[in-house]
Amino acid sequence: MTSAVLVPVRPRPGSRSLLTALLVGAVVVSLLAVEVEGASGGGAAARELLTSLVQPDLSPGFLATVAEAAVLTVAYAVAGMSVAVVVGVPGALLVSGVLARRRTSRAVTVVATRGVLATLRAVHELVWALLLLTVLGLHPLSGVLAIGIPYGATMARVLGDRLLDVPRAPLDALTAAGASPEQLLLYGRLPLAGADLAGYLFYRLECAVRAAAVLSFIGLGGIGLRIEVALADLRFDQVGTLLLALLLLVVAVDATARAARARLVV
Amino acid sequence: MSTTTSLEQAHAGPAPAPVPGRRRRRTPWRGWVAAVVGAALVVAAWATVLSAEASPLPPLPEIAERAAGFAGDLLGVADPTPAYRDAGSWSRVGGLAVDTVVMSVLATGLAGLGALATVAGASRSLTVGEFGPGGPLGWAVHLLSRGLHTVTRSVPEVVWALLVVFTLQPGVLAGAVALALHEVGVLGRLGADVADSLDRGPLRALRATGAGRTALLLYGVLPQALPQLVTFLLYRWEVVLRASIVVGFITGAGLGFALRLDLAFRRWTDVALVLLTYVLLVWAVDLASSLLRRLAR
Repeated sequence: MTSAVLVPVRPRPGSRSLLTALLVGAVVVSLLAVEVEGASGGGAAARELLTSLVQPDLSPGFLATVAEAAVLTVAYAVAGMSVAVVVGVPGALLVSGVLARRRTSRAVTVVATRGVLATLRAVHELVWALLLLTVLGLHPLSGVLAIGIPYGATMARVLGDRLLDVPRAPLDALTAAGASPEQLLLYGRLPLAGADLAGYLFYRLECAVRAAAVLSFIGLGGIGLRIEVALADLRFDQVGTLLLALLLLVVAVDATARAARARLVV
Repeated sequence: MSTTTSLEQAHAGPAPAPVPGRRRRRTPWRGWVAAVVGAALVVAAWATVLSAEASPLPPLPEIAERAAGFAGDLLGVADPTPAYRDAGSWSRVGGLAVDTVVMSVLATGLAGLGALATVAGASRSLTVGEFGPGGPLGWAVHLLSRGLHTVTRSVPEVVWALLVVFTLQPGVLAGAVALALHEVGVLGRLGADVADSLDRGPLRALRATGAGRTALLLYGVLPQALPQLVTFLLYRWEVVLRASIVVGFITGAGLGFALRLDLAFRRWTDVALVLLTYVLLVWAVDLASSLLRRLAR
């Protein structure tokens, strides 16, 4: 992961100082709005937590439990991403309107899909999990869909924007040669927009791993459930091991992403 | 016409530039291998997930019935006094919405300060690269800051919240701290990438005039990197607000706490009102953040 897209910056002093004032003002007002209650022996608890965290429980029995939880968490993340792709790709085609032939039909589909996607995306994964729990019960599908629906809606937006942001010239050439919207999509937009899709998918997989880790929020298994159990037992050393496992998972997905991008793209 | 989420692209990295004078190596089989491995992983993942201990899936008609019943409950079909007809419920939700916004602003502000303090250390070129002190000190600072960002970023907000409520009293502040702890890692990482891809010309010019390291940071790095950092901060504000409902669920503050109570007491129309407020709030912050980003440009 090298860099953000940097735009040359031309300062406009007026708007900048307004923004600074707004940002600083907002933070100060929020600070004043919070009533700070006296910490109730929090310092001692924090110290105990920290000292135990750096002495993780590495007994073989517990490590096996951690490994099992980690596998389940990754499985939830991958299954969730598969749903996200199923939601995201058709969503991207609809929200970008690249397949519409008429101006009016395009406008209607674009506006309607945008509204639906924005709503699906606004709701946090775990709130989706709560809602799905009410309908599907405590079935793994609740967790998978809870990740897949909002992630799919985000993917639709990003992919849809990419489909529209491709360079004009190759598309004009295809249109001049008499290509239909479908052919334009297949031979023009998709190859141009999909160049670095692997990088994006892996980045979202990393997010999905973190989301899957906390599906214990509704009572599903994985690393989060183990953390909650360990916290309830006041076994902070086990919490340390579990956090370490989570860290390793995220770093591993990140490293795989780099490797995959290097292999697939060049 | 489109509003590309450049933050998402920043996460995904820039599109690879074609190397001039060199044909792109075509490796079609690699694509196929990746597709097959990916498909196998997806199948294995579904198998693992479905074999996990949980209650069985209800039959389809029952799911439909439950969904319809739930939707009816939320809309208050059978409820003689639905929450959205009651002015008291609206003012309660309004107050909680203010709490939630305060939590998200505070979290974003704290995370911004934390990231600003550590971003130079996490940047390669400012520690062990061209403009850094190098040596053991440079490496120590670099690895420590990078490590801090990776650790804070890897732990989700909800887990931070579980840990924070052990030490801080439940409330808005605890929620803000939990959100900020995760966000420092995200912003720090993005910021370090920005700091590493700065235009080096001005930095070299400053150094040639005899500027020390502090002057280099203040007059060379900061003016170049700050607008981009502020843009990221505003993007992440929306993400933080989205997450603040689940963090509030745990730390007992704002809309999240109301959602928890209303779900527990099965006050379905109140649940609907909280969710509606939440979605409207996310949209409003999305709009506010894009307006503020225009000021940063």
